[in-house]
Amino acid sequence: MARRCLAVAVVAAAVTFAGCGGPMQPDELKRSIETLESSAAEGALLANGVARDRTKATFARVHARDLGETVDHEAEKLHDASAEGRVALRKAAAVDLAGRIAEALGQIQTAPDSTSEGRSAEATLTRLGDRAGRLAEGL
Amino acid sequence: MRTLFSIALGVIAAIGGFVDIGDLVFNAQAGASVGYPALWALPVGVLGIMVFAEMSGRIVAVAKKPNFVLVKERYGPRLSTFTLVASLVLNVLTLGAELGGLGFVLDYFLDVSVSFFVLVAVIGVAAAIYFLPFGGLERVFGYLGLALFVYLAASIKLDPDWGEIGRGFVPESHGAAVYWYFVVGLIAAALMPYEIYFYSSGAVEEGWDERDMSVNRANAFVGFGIGGVIAASILIASTQVLKPEGISPESVGTAALVAQVPYGELGLVLALVGILFAVGGATVDTAFSAAYNLAQHQGWKWGKRFRLLDEPRFTLSLAGFLLAGFAIAQSGVDPIELTEYAVIFSIPVLPLTYLPILLVGNDAAVMGRFVNGPLARVLGWGYFGLICVLAVAAPVLFVWTNGGS
Repeated sequence: MARRCLAVAVVAAAVTFAGCGGPMQPDELKRSIETLESSAAEGALLANGVARDRTKATFARVHARDLGETVDHEAEKLHDASAEGRVALRKAAAVDLAGRIAEALGQIQTAPDSTSEGRSAEATLTRLGDRAGRLAEGL
Repeated sequence: MRTLFSIALGVIAAIGGFVDIGDLVFNAQAGASVGYPALWALPVGVLGIMVFAEMSGRIVAVAKKPNFVLVKERYGPRLSTFTLVASLVLNVLTLGAELGGLGFVLDYFLDVSVSFFVLVAVIGVAAAIYFLPFGGLERVFGYLGLALFVYLAASIKLDPDWGEIGRGFVPESHGAAVYWYFVVGLIAAALMPYEIYFYSSGAVEEGWDERDMSVNRANAFVGFGIGGVIAASILIASTQVLKPEGISPESVGTAALVAQVPYGELGLVLALVGILFAVGGATVDTAFSAAYNLAQHQGWKWGKRFRLLDEPRFTLSLAGFLLAGFAIAQSGVDPIELTEYAVIFSIPVLPLTYLPILLVGNDAAVMGRFVNGPLARVLGWGYFGLICVLAVAAPVLFVWTNGGS
């Protein structure tokens, strides 16, 4: 009886984990890109506060750093995942997008009290957020 | 007037319960994801905690028994021990998350390191617990947490569609699983066990008797009502700021950013100060709740109303729980995710927490002329039924929606 239960458990585990490690699916990629889009949009909101001198510099720096870490983590996940066909092309574009978003967030992190850097970062992050939205469409 | 100023227990229990680190972000997520249609869940949850808080306060005033003593009396040894272990595990996990949250908030002000500020936070909370009387703890953390009213002001300043907000308070049926995940989560967040354990033990600390029924009602209805208004304001303001931009909040910084949009740096600072003391209040709530439950289950002497050094077992357990929470916070685990798991997996234990209150509240032999009236009975059993449904629905929805995503 105990051996039979163990065999059932092993088969169940094998069936459960059979799906893991395969190529990235469109819905998984879409969720990752939506995370990038959200981070870019939030970064733009944060940059707007810097541009208009309506935020605390320490908050802007720390929050920009946190957003940057989220974006970097997403970029790493995307880089490590395998993908095929159309998903692979969009995945590569998403990794590139993540790098650009992280760079723009880095502007805020470096100069959280500079209104000119804030304006520049806001414009860049807004544009990158829109690009992420278009990339996620149709997935 | 005295009654109005003595609602600090209800305020700290509500602030610490409704707007702890996880609920802050969860309310913001509900606003960003579902928006106004989730609003009706908040008064449903708030009314539930009001009913049970008032009942447990009345039981303390008449029978001098806080909630965990009722758990021990009404359940057998195995079930009461199971309830104790479940409550302690969830309290310590939540405590770890709150301390982690305090580290994040302090780092927003000073940008040194979150780990350093978690250490500062645990020392600060321990010092407050040691040096302040119980009433002082209530007033400091409860009233300073009211800086979160900046979200109510922000909701109004952002000029919302009040018609849509009003419609949000009318329950609607939606097919989406994510919608029901947030509705169930918002109701359950108002009914977290540590709130009621802290409230009932706090009533003993305050020395309530039969003359304090109006004080109990004020604490339960006004105190928790204030918590509900703040939670609703966070949801409404997040709907206005985050939802149109497609921002999905994953940190307390995003919740703070919502207050910055209409009010600039002043709004941001008020939000961060409010969050600091609300989360600090939650830290105090959960630490005391754990120590109260253990002491009441074991029959030890307990309470801030005595000298802590005169009750070494209670004091050591309080210190031990704070240290355990500190260790969890220092592990680097995301405090938001940790509270989400703690909340969702505490929900199946909710019926065990609330049933003894209902049974004793309905027991005329114990309560005499203060026994539950018809309205309290109907509401009490109605909410108990709802809690049983939540106990099944919450974990299922959590898994089905992958944590609301």
